[in-house]
Amino acid sequence: MLNMVTLGVISVFVGFLGSLTGLGGASILVPLLVLLGIPVKEAIASAMVSIIATSSGSAASYVKERITNIRVAMYLEMFTITGAIIGATVTTIIAPVYLYFFFVAFLLTSFIKFTSVNKGFTPAKSQDRFSRWLGLSGSYFDEATKQQIDYRVNHAVLGGIGMLIAGLAAGMLGIGAGAFKVTVQENILQMPPKVSSTTSNFIIGMTALAGVSVYLFSGLLNLTLMAPMVIGATIGAIAGGRVLNRISDKYLKILFLLVVIFLIAQMLYKGVTSI
Amino acid sequence: MKRAGLSDGKWRLENAISYVLIIGVVSSLLLELTGIVLFFHSSGHLAISQDQSVFIRGRNFFSFILDQFHGNQVSSAVLFMVAGVVVLMLTPYVRVIMSALYFAREKNAKYVLITLFVLMVLTVSLVLH
Repeated sequence: MLNMVTLGVISVFVGFLGSLTGLGGASILVPLLVLLGIPVKEAIASAMVSIIATSSGSAASYVKERITNIRVAMYLEMFTITGAIIGATVTTIIAPVYLYFFFVAFLLTSFIKFTSVNKGFTPAKSQDRFSRWLGLSGSYFDEATKQQIDYRVNHAVLGGIGMLIAGLAAGMLGIGAGAFKVTVQENILQMPPKVSSTTSNFIIGMTALAGVSVYLFSGLLNLTLMAPMVIGATIGAIAGGRVLNRISDKYLKILFLLVVIFLIAQMLYKGVTSI
Repeated sequence: MKRAGLSDGKWRLENAISYVLIIGVVSSLLLELTGIVLFFHSSGHLAISQDQSVFIRGRNFFSFILDQFHGNQVSSAVLFMVAGVVVLMLTPYVRVIMSALYFAREKNAKYVLITLFVLMVLTVSLVLH
């Protein structure tokens, strides 16, 4: 029988792994909890609460270092929270079996980021009118190159739609959908990678709050499940963030592949056997 | 001169948000940890429970918070764990309120509207669910 200490230790490990692979702790925790016999909707609701903690805990330092773009975050949060509320509402209504397949479908999208070749960041030369009207631009000091990097954010409308989808998946599946958000921010909004990953992390906490607002009184939030997850996943995520830069990309990619394939196989098996 | 003043304000907003996030998360984790310790103390085990008493019940987030102060016949373990969730939920919520105030002081109407939209959607969802 699963107890709180075991779950806390598992959550530290998963938070760490989620941080290293960029999948986020919740994307790994939900399938793992299902494997351990926890009902999928309970797993999703509890994971959503833990995301507020992991996101806020790790976002704090980036905000202080002025890498996170708060304006861009506020604009994109309009879309992610709307999506998350709709997504979470759908989850409370539909039959659990669909959730396994939606989870698999979403995990497959994380391969887009994995397979996209890193071409390096080239700042946008022009900016569309709406993005300019919103004042979506910024600058940050890059510690690696010791340079001030100025950037302009582009395609705000399309980026907003992308974020609505990210929020929908996040709220529905109890995950952060960080890899998907980063893909939208880098490829559509043309944000520099560092600004993109830290801003996405910042947005994830607010999106999770929107999801939790739906799950809070749905009768799905199990305190004995949620408490050890919140503590463990936050400690693990912060530890993962600290060692991330010391591990080579090659090992991170292998780790990512192993984890994603395991998660897809597990949810697919669960889905097929529940039909 | 005006620009320097604005960036000054911006520095303060970012520092303030950073502190709110850290204080919110740390106090929430401590509340959850205390809840787990009290749970063990009262029940003698740490098994994941499926008992109805460990599921959060209520109607409206804000009246739910007030109810907790009136001592609703729940164990102190549950009370601490619930308090941890409430503090955690209030962390991003306070962050939006602070941003709204900051943009209002900066007289940035567009961002006041954007921030208020986020605040309104969250509030309505918290009240309705």
